[in-house]
Amino acid sequence: MPSLPRIPTVLIAAGAALVVRRALRRRIGRAPLWPMPALENPVSGRGRSGPRQLLVVERAEEAEGVVRLRLEGAGLPGWEPGAHVDLVLPSGAVRQYSLCGDPADTGSYTIATRLIEDGRGGSREVHEQLHEGTAVEVRGPRNRFRLEECHAYLFIAGGIGITPILPMVRQAESEGVPWRLVYGGRTRASMPFLEEIEKLAGAASDRVTVVAEDEDGLPDLAAALADAPPHAAVYCCGPDPLMDAVAALLPQGARGLTLYTERFAPAAAVPGGEGAPSREGAEFEVELRRTGRTVTVPADRSVLRAIRDQALPDLPYSCEQGFCGTCQQRVLAGEVDHRDELLTDAERDDSLLICVSRARGERLVLDL
Amino acid sequence: MSNTASLRPGSVASEHTPLKARNVAFDWADTPLHWIPGDPDSTHTINVLHLLLPAGERWFVHVYKQVLPQIRDARLREDVLGFIGQEAMHSQAHDDVLPHLKRLGLDPTPYTAQVDWLFEKLLGDRTLPPGRARQWWLMERVAIIAAIEHYTAFLGDWVLNAGALDARGADPTMLDLLRWHGAEEVEHRSVAFDLFMHVDGGYRRRVRTWATAFAALVFLWQRGTRFFMANDPTLPDGRASFREFARGGRQGVLPTPGAMARSIPQYLSRAYHPSRYGSTAQAAAYLAQSPAATAAEAHPPHPARPTGAA
Repeated sequence: MPSLPRIPTVLIAAGAALVVRRALRRRIGRAPLWPMPALENPVSGRGRSGPRQLLVVERAEEAEGVVRLRLEGAGLPGWEPGAHVDLVLPSGAVRQYSLCGDPADTGSYTIATRLIEDGRGGSREVHEQLHEGTAVEVRGPRNRFRLEECHAYLFIAGGIGITPILPMVRQAESEGVPWRLVYGGRTRASMPFLEEIEKLAGAASDRVTVVAEDEDGLPDLAAALADAPPHAAVYCCGPDPLMDAVAALLPQGARGLTLYTERFAPAAAVPGGEGAPSREGAEFEVELRRTGRTVTVPADRSVLRAIRDQALPDLPYSCEQGFCGTCQQRVLAGEVDHRDELLTDAERDDSLLICVSRARGERLVLDL
Repeated sequence: MSNTASLRPGSVASEHTPLKARNVAFDWADTPLHWIPGDPDSTHTINVLHLLLPAGERWFVHVYKQVLPQIRDARLREDVLGFIGQEAMHSQAHDDVLPHLKRLGLDPTPYTAQVDWLFEKLLGDRTLPPGRARQWWLMERVAIIAAIEHYTAFLGDWVLNAGALDARGADPTMLDLLRWHGAEEVEHRSVAFDLFMHVDGGYRRRVRTWATAFAALVFLWQRGTRFFMANDPTLPDGRASFREFARGGRQGVLPTPGAMARSIPQYLSRAYHPSRYGSTAQAAAYLAQSPAATAAEAHPPHPARPTGAA
């Protein structure tokens, strides 16, 4: 039968407990979060910048057929010139628009859209249904048209393509980097932000060439590229023919020019305008590098379904709508048409959500 | 594998709810730091959820992805897939609160970086040879998740019934986050336990992992509350205390210590099944009128693009 502990034993135990308690308290007093180590690069709390409701607080006619909207919210994520946001329109359609306001303003975003009569209806919805006081859902911002550091810039904008270029011009100006802008449009009255651009050009007005088609025809791109400083960065946004022309003329321009463009049309990013739908539902192949198999993704099946059906039935997934992130996989090769609403730009560089995203070309290679 | 299939406790409810992730979003712009007005102690006690859940629920998803190929029951597999998506959204939703706390002057990073370490490193995929060791560690983690889910279901049931929070004028956005999350926890409360019973089900493992999970939760929770109280910029000498915790329980803005103590023997009972506690109907009723959940229904991600055109 166990005997009751004797008094000295109890005293020793109590004394030991007190000493331990005091030592712990002093240790924790010195470092309140002792004794757990921290993860070197914390994962939590970086914020996903999911969709947020913004309020249209200002609507103005920026030019003929172009409205400028200021969308207000609190503590908006920062952005850099070239960024765009996804606008979820009242019908549920999602359209991308470049931010053309001041990046330092964390209380509102500014966008401008041109009404496209024969477009898919997104711009019509913006023009007809977004008024002062309307709430609108916004995702992003994302940036696939970043302004890289350079010693000189040549900007080429066509029409509403000025929207991502304008904040770039402002930044180049404020950092004192030499820049030139060629800005083309149908008529002066239809070209947004002309006044601000002419003000930015200041006295040295040869920095800006405004070319209205009804007065002067098309801009002389060959001359602009030839006059550019060697090794300058060329940023171009506008209708497809403009960008194709710039790309074709680039080799005849100054030495070492680097061209950066953002297209209105096919890709997921459709800043400032509207265009044809992307390679809708085309068939393509996905190679699973680790498994050593290749599956064909039919036009009407997702990558996820195709891989589960043909190769890996236990592949994890859940929402199948591109928001939960369970089916994220690494991409080893191939260009992705991202259609999710979760991944950050950095994550999109080397991964995709296979439940919604597709190949932009004919083949993807996944680390599976 | 357990050989006691016929003796296993089963679900008491006969109906089966298909689980699906809801694409919720919350706007934190108007939520004050002390979202239970005048009660920083209780606010911060509940705020600890935002510290633990982003990393914790991400870890659930990580572990469950690995156990997926071992599920031999089609319906359980469907449940687990739905569970994974719901947990992923819980993690994202709570994670979005953290930058807001930072904006309000209470930077949670020193604490969350440690929670990240706990789930990514300590409970992560250890360097183990394939085979028994790796399987043992996977089963251990599956059992830990089942034990934690007992408490998330307990808290979910509590918050759905915590009328005192409404009476005290708690912030509606935060309440909606907690109740949407709580309702989904109640909705999927059987999945983690069913999965554990399906792939292992050992009673000794259940008790052992419960003890680990319970001790860790108590340790992390009191530490999180102390962290918040000590670093709250509006409280010059804020300190957390058990007395304040008990007071919150009496006033109904926190679970009571008594109810928490009573939930322990529930989980350790051999006849335990999560479906005996909480109400699926109540959870479904809340989800049907939750602002965030209904907005997610009304605006599915790609309504205007059936196959995802840009």
